[in-house]
Amino acid sequence: MAVLAGLAGCSSGEETPAQQVAERFYSAVGSGQGTAACGLLAPRTAEQMRSDGAGCAGSILQLDLSAGGVRATQVWGGEAQVRLAGDTVFLHRFSRGWLVRAAGCSPRGEQPYLCKVGS
Amino acid sequence: MRRLMRGNALSLFFLVAFLLALAGQSIAGNADYNANQITDGGAPVSWISYVSSSDFAVDVAENWQSEYLQFLLFIMVTVWLVQRGSPESKKPGEEGEEGDEDQKSGPYAERDSPPWAKAGGLRQMLYGNSLGLVMGLIFVLSWVAQSVAGTAAYNARQLAQLQDPVTWFGYVCSADFWNRTLQNWQSEFLAVLSMVVLSIYLRQRGSPESKPVGTPHQATGVEN
Repeated sequence: MAVLAGLAGCSSGEETPAQQVAERFYSAVGSGQGTAACGLLAPRTAEQMRSDGAGCAGSILQLDLSAGGVRATQVWGGEAQVRLAGDTVFLHRFSRGWLVRAAGCSPRGEQPYLCKVGS
Repeated sequence: MRRLMRGNALSLFFLVAFLLALAGQSIAGNADYNANQITDGGAPVSWISYVSSSDFAVDVAENWQSEYLQFLLFIMVTVWLVQRGSPESKKPGEEGEEGDEDQKSGPYAERDSPPWAKAGGLRQMLYGNSLGLVMGLIFVLSWVAQSVAGTAAYNARQLAQLQDPVTWFGYVCSADFWNRTLQNWQSEFLAVLSMVVLSIYLRQRGSPESKPVGTPHQATGVEN
């Protein structure tokens, strides 16, 4: 049953690392450190942000990303969702740790979340 | 040693075939999983990570549960239902659990019968249904494992697609769970139906699953 619990993603011990990356991301954005925030983005997400005229660091600071306290974190396999008071973040686990796949996300019923960063 | 292997060749053949197929599934499954990860902008995982993942577990468990269900039903339904002409069936008129004399149990047990077949009461009842009970238990456990691993795999996919995860109950009510389950069940039921019906008219020389080549089509419950 312990194996099944592990497979089910229960208490995988990955909630805290994923949550910490989400908090560091919002902390960097909040303190105007665009380069640091971009360093926490998943490669494809960072590439999308770089394609904007202002570059990744400039673009990410122009977005209205409001964090607030962490409400809940769920980890399933190599994917995580961190719900903050004012936002929802999706992360993916890479060999160098958790990175933000999408941020500034709002629910749309059964449709995928609509995100300001990543898609 | 050689005699031991020859005496257990059928079990050994299927054990080796099972292990080879499982190893092959893990390699092909890992490659498929990594291809999807790269498409989604994620990171590929090692073989070890993949075989300990919910994705591998659900793919294995969904096939196990359906196979054990197939044999459980075959074992149990053939107690009560017959198919005229099939070597897989009892003869018409023999439906039911049969008495102690037919089953060599209780007072009709022989000197070398299993001890619990000689015993009465609960022990004989348990032993007399032990094959169905164990197959049924493995089926239930495999199906539960499919639902638990399936929840994890489904939720990982949901998150990768920027959607909310679901609870275990939400998953067992989902289309994904029942699609995985029923696509396996239908193929198992078709295979049993084919075996029962085709063996009425077709033969496989030397196989105990077939009637002898010259046996009439109408002969029921006759095996090589």
